[in-house]
Amino acid sequence: MTLTLHVDGPRWRDHLVAVAERTPGMVPVAKGNGYGFGLPRLARRTQWLADRGAAAGHTWGDVLAVGTYDEIGEVASRYDGSILVLTPWRPFGAALDVDPALAHRVIHTVSRAEDLATLLERQPDARYVLELVTSMLRHGMTGRELRGLGGLTARGTLEGVAMHLPLAQGSHLSQVQRLVTDAIAADLPTRTLWVSHLTRSELDRLRTSYSDFTIRPRIGTDLWLGDRGALKVTAQVLDVHAVERGDVFGYRSRTAPKSGHVLVVSGGTAHGIGLEAPSGDQSLKARAATLARGGLDAVGFVRSPYSIGGKQRLFAEPPHMQASMLFLPHGSQVPQVGDEIDVRVRFTATAFDRVEVS
Amino acid sequence: MSSRQLVQPLTLRPVTAADHLAFIRTQPSASFLQVPAWGPVKSEWQHESLGWFRPGADGEEMVGAALVLYRQLPKVKRYLAYLPEGPVLDWASFTDPDARLADWLEPLRDYLKTKGAFGIRIGPPVVTRRWSAAQIKEGVSDPAVRRLDDIAPLERTPTGAAVVSQLHELGWQPQAAEGGFAAGQPQYNFHVPLTVDGRAKTEDEVLKSMNQLWRRNIKKAAKEGVEVTRGTRDDLAAFHALYVHTAERDHFTPRPLAYFEKMWDSLTPEEDDRFVLHLARHEGDLVAATISIRVGQHSWYSYGASSTEKREVRGSNAVQWEMIRSALAAGAAVYDMRGITDTLDADDPHVGLIQFKVGTGGEAVEYVGEWDLPINRAIYAAFQLYMKRR
Repeated sequence: MTLTLHVDGPRWRDHLVAVAERTPGMVPVAKGNGYGFGLPRLARRTQWLADRGAAAGHTWGDVLAVGTYDEIGEVASRYDGSILVLTPWRPFGAALDVDPALAHRVIHTVSRAEDLATLLERQPDARYVLELVTSMLRHGMTGRELRGLGGLTARGTLEGVAMHLPLAQGSHLSQVQRLVTDAIAADLPTRTLWVSHLTRSELDRLRTSYSDFTIRPRIGTDLWLGDRGALKVTAQVLDVHAVERGDVFGYRSRTAPKSGHVLVVSGGTAHGIGLEAPSGDQSLKARAATLARGGLDAVGFVRSPYSIGGKQRLFAEPPHMQASMLFLPHGSQVPQVGDEIDVRVRFTATAFDRVEVS
Repeated sequence: MSSRQLVQPLTLRPVTAADHLAFIRTQPSASFLQVPAWGPVKSEWQHESLGWFRPGADGEEMVGAALVLYRQLPKVKRYLAYLPEGPVLDWASFTDPDARLADWLEPLRDYLKTKGAFGIRIGPPVVTRRWSAAQIKEGVSDPAVRRLDDIAPLERTPTGAAVVSQLHELGWQPQAAEGGFAAGQPQYNFHVPLTVDGRAKTEDEVLKSMNQLWRRNIKKAAKEGVEVTRGTRDDLAAFHALYVHTAERDHFTPRPLAYFEKMWDSLTPEEDDRFVLHLARHEGDLVAATISIRVGQHSWYSYGASSTEKREVRGSNAVQWEMIRSALAAGAAVYDMRGITDTLDADDPHVGLIQFKVGTGGEAVEYVGEWDLPINRAIYAAFQLYMKRR
């Protein structure tokens, strides 16, 4: 009854080291569902990277970035470095409940002047990065707000300035240059930049132009999921029923359109199966494909993420909570109960029952 | 946050050349392109002196000045208002987070708009980065280093960054000069600092920071009997002949003699040392000639010419050394050798110029550069296109 993420361990670990090697100062990101692996596993793997880096004289994973304050607990006991929280600190909620025993390991992201004052009042030795607003317009301070911080930044430990750039739409360098200029204008007592979503050549260029700065690239997807060939997702066939045209099946008492088999397979809405997460692909073709799938839905069966015999199969009805029903037309090779079949999922939106690393 | 409310608003209005000059005299330095006498030199453009005023305890106080050159568009009565290496204001004040560049530039924009400007171009004389001679020397010999930007600077100035940040915020557009020589005034310049720890350097100290070749050449010129004298207006013709010769040799387009005569006539009366012609002679032959300009504590090497014959007597080094000594004697803080390109590529033809300047032991500085504010977007766009196709 399991939806399993199979990881080719040696290949995956080689990939992690390769990314670390070409990304000096790398800060792994572990947030949300842990990119399918789960936060605890990524925390342990970050420790492994940090140890390997330290042995080779590099800083890989001396800092691990998590998304929210609530995620600190999941990584803190499995990893002993610093923990950067990407969600900006606010004077309410989970940010105020950080375990005092962990306080010195946490690096806060501060995105508003008033928050910095309040944070330093509550925790005078707080470690923090100042987030600058980028063209994403999510969180962050403007150049003017940064200059207005004045002597505040001499208190606590300012660990650098952070920028969260949008996914690449042309080069980010001129924007980064402007943001760094804002930071220099504010005369901040730091020379560290925390950046994300820069291409390798952009990072190289940045390191050349700002070799008096320390660059800390935050990497999530490209690190953990960058080598898709090392990852394979399977579901199990739980039941197989032969049907004739007109046979009734399922919660909604649908009828089979023609003869074939109805399969019950592991994986349902609880795992994220059947939920549409927007794919990164924004091309016209991808949008047309989405429309076409919607069209199928209207007349009958919808294409599922499960493949049998190298072909993506149709849902016989919408996925259940932990299992799904597929329709296999007559003439296809029918798998046995217990067989494993391939599933294509969005890793960041899937909860696996099991992760098996070889 | 505190002083902001106390600051009185600035007003801007035209001032006389005399008031303009009086203000410049109170300043430690200003670009020579911003003194009132520079206006008549650019006779094909109209010019005007402007002053910023702030109400003080004893009435109004002039706190800033600008020489504006109006460059007319062909056929229409619309102008690009150009403030080369200006305006002259207390740029250092922008380290204060409460100082707002908008307080200065908004009255300027409003005024120039009434004068028919479709756009404004300024060039704040504010340093953003500095590199030492040693760094540049290392950069030229390192094949991985191609431009100044490839080397971490000695310093990135918060004032320069604050000016750049605020110009961006206010909608001004950088006139990026790839390589440094493409547009208007050079963004990268070479400075020889003439002070150390807040006091004037001695001649010996300046000599000591030069490389061996420079020191040897200066000594050699003296031994050969090269004499450097100050020229008169009549000597401009001899300077010009040598300058045209240099232009042919080094492949640049020379300016006509009349231009230098105009500079002489306008600049010399304004101040001692404002414009000085230096002539280096060897046994009666003119081997090098230069023009230096000084405004307050800033002294520029502005134009230079040298003969192809008798290079071995080192007239160029002799005349440079004489200009540096005069600058020191006049109490200048900076000897400015003007523009360099940002190239450190050993194969680039421009690298020879930077290497010559680096021999003085000074430093490369990057300025904020030139910035435009379009006022009438359509005309400004047409102007940009016209400039590109020229």
